[in-house]
Amino acid sequence: MSARTVLAAVTTISAIALPLAAVSPAQASHGGGGDVRTHGGCAGSAVWKLKVKPDSGRIEFEGEVDSNHNGQVWDWRIKHDGSVSAHGSSTTSGASGSFSVHRRMANLSGTDSFTFRAERRANGDVCRGTIAL
Amino acid sequence: MRALRNPMVQFLVASFLLFGATWWATGKLSERAGRSEAVADARGTTDLLAHSVAEPAIPRKLIDIDPGAIDRFDRAVLDRLMVGDVRRIKIWRADGTIVYSDETDLIGERFPLDTEQRQVLTSGTTEGGVSDLRRSENKFETDESGLLEVYTQIMSPEGTPLLFEAYYSVATVQERAHEVLTPFRRITAGALLAILLLGVPLIGALTSRLTRASRARERLMLRAMDSSEAERRRIARDLHDGVVQELAGTAFALSGSAREPGISPGLKGDLDRAGEAVRRSLRQLRSLLVEIHPPGLNAGSLAASLEDLTAPARSAGTAATVSVSGIDGAPDHVVTLVWRTAQEAIRNAVRHARATHLSVEVTGDERQVRLVVKDDGVGFDPSAGSGEGSYGLRGLKSLVEDGGGVVDVDSSPDDGTTVRMVVDRR
Repeated sequence: MSARTVLAAVTTISAIALPLAAVSPAQASHGGGGDVRTHGGCAGSAVWKLKVKPDSGRIEFEGEVDSNHNGQVWDWRIKHDGSVSAHGSSTTSGASGSFSVHRRMANLSGTDSFTFRAERRANGDVCRGTIAL
Repeated sequence: MRALRNPMVQFLVASFLLFGATWWATGKLSERAGRSEAVADARGTTDLLAHSVAEPAIPRKLIDIDPGAIDRFDRAVLDRLMVGDVRRIKIWRADGTIVYSDETDLIGERFPLDTEQRQVLTSGTTEGGVSDLRRSENKFETDESGLLEVYTQIMSPEGTPLLFEAYYSVATVQERAHEVLTPFRRITAGALLAILLLGVPLIGALTSRLTRASRARERLMLRAMDSSEAERRRIARDLHDGVVQELAGTAFALSGSAREPGISPGLKGDLDRAGEAVRRSLRQLRSLLVEIHPPGLNAGSLAASLEDLTAPARSAGTAATVSVSGIDGAPDHVVTLVWRTAQEAIRNAVRHARATHLSVEVTGDERQVRLVVKDDGVGFDPSAGSGEGSYGLRGLKSLVEDGGGVVDVDSSPDDGTTVRMVVDRR
């Protein structure tokens, strides 16, 4: 199989899969080690993934945006129970054209809810997901 | 118990007792010093953590227990606060609510502040002490050795005073005390050991010198007693061989002359009276000779000699009994001491007691010989210490102590007198 053929196949799968992801509802799933994962589609062609995991009295939060394009600048923000815990900007990179954010959060009493919002600076496309632990 | 009389043993026992007491005392003092130093260290560390690490990093809204503010503060300072022996960090609001702790389950919980904590919150000083782990705010503490808590005031960006509290392991305090104690104990133990090493030969030499001096004194005393005994024997022999023989001859001559025929009745009467006077003097002189040196005094003849001593008491109408047992083979100087003590005690009884009964009892075993002279006479108060009787008592004690014995006089008015004497049989 030539490189051209592989690229064509990937492009075709992405063209079909991304719109499907964008329209399908985000659903949390529990992985091994007590972690919780969820994902969803953004406005436009990008997708987002969230993961939270308890770790020594803290919560490890991981948010990822995958747009398949390198060099896109995104402004992001994480809210913990509705209060801004962290914010910043990142640029997609790598073969997948993505960026990820890792932050340690306080594991407060009760259920901790986290909202991740990323907005592409160039066109205002928004990714928004929520996860709880 | 006999070993305890040895000065060397006494010195060693005293040294070990002193060593133990010093060891205990230095331990206590060092523990106190170590605790105080550890508390001072903890205060210094708490001040540094509170004002150089925590206070500059406190975000706005932390006092409102805002989750985002807690996250930011936690990420910024946790690794820098939980350093060394710090076991717990808490930041309190004035109402007793914990707005931050490395133990996130405590955040948002409310516990009443005690008086000292409230004072620190208002005055800005730094205080500390051992934590009361029974308090509910310490429900997460599992350190069995205990915790030391130190608190100080910090300010939030909104200008609200907060109480910053750091907890340290008490094990650190003990380690600190150990650090202080070890060199101190080495010095103390070294000094005591040096004194011991220096003192043992010194005390040994002194003891040896004292023992030699004591033996020399004992030999001198025995020699003096021997000399005194020899002198008494010589005087008794001279009197017996000289004056007594002369008086016996004179008495015999006077009696013979009084029986000569043809002498006037007046002269015969004079010669009879003179002869009687000489014989009376002869009897007194013989009694004196017995007192000065009883002939052949030894363990076997002691009972008879004591019977002789009680003769004057019997003559005075006092019923006297003598009992001697268990002294076979006792040395002559011990027997002599018993006899002389009995002599002094009987003499005092005859002179002062006006007793109806007098008993003299001598008993012995392989270690000691004991004498008890008891009368049922008028008695006296030994504590009065004056009068003729006290001289007799002092003479008695002096006599016994010089001979190496111990005497005890038990008496009270109208209750008789008992003289007890004990001397080693050696």
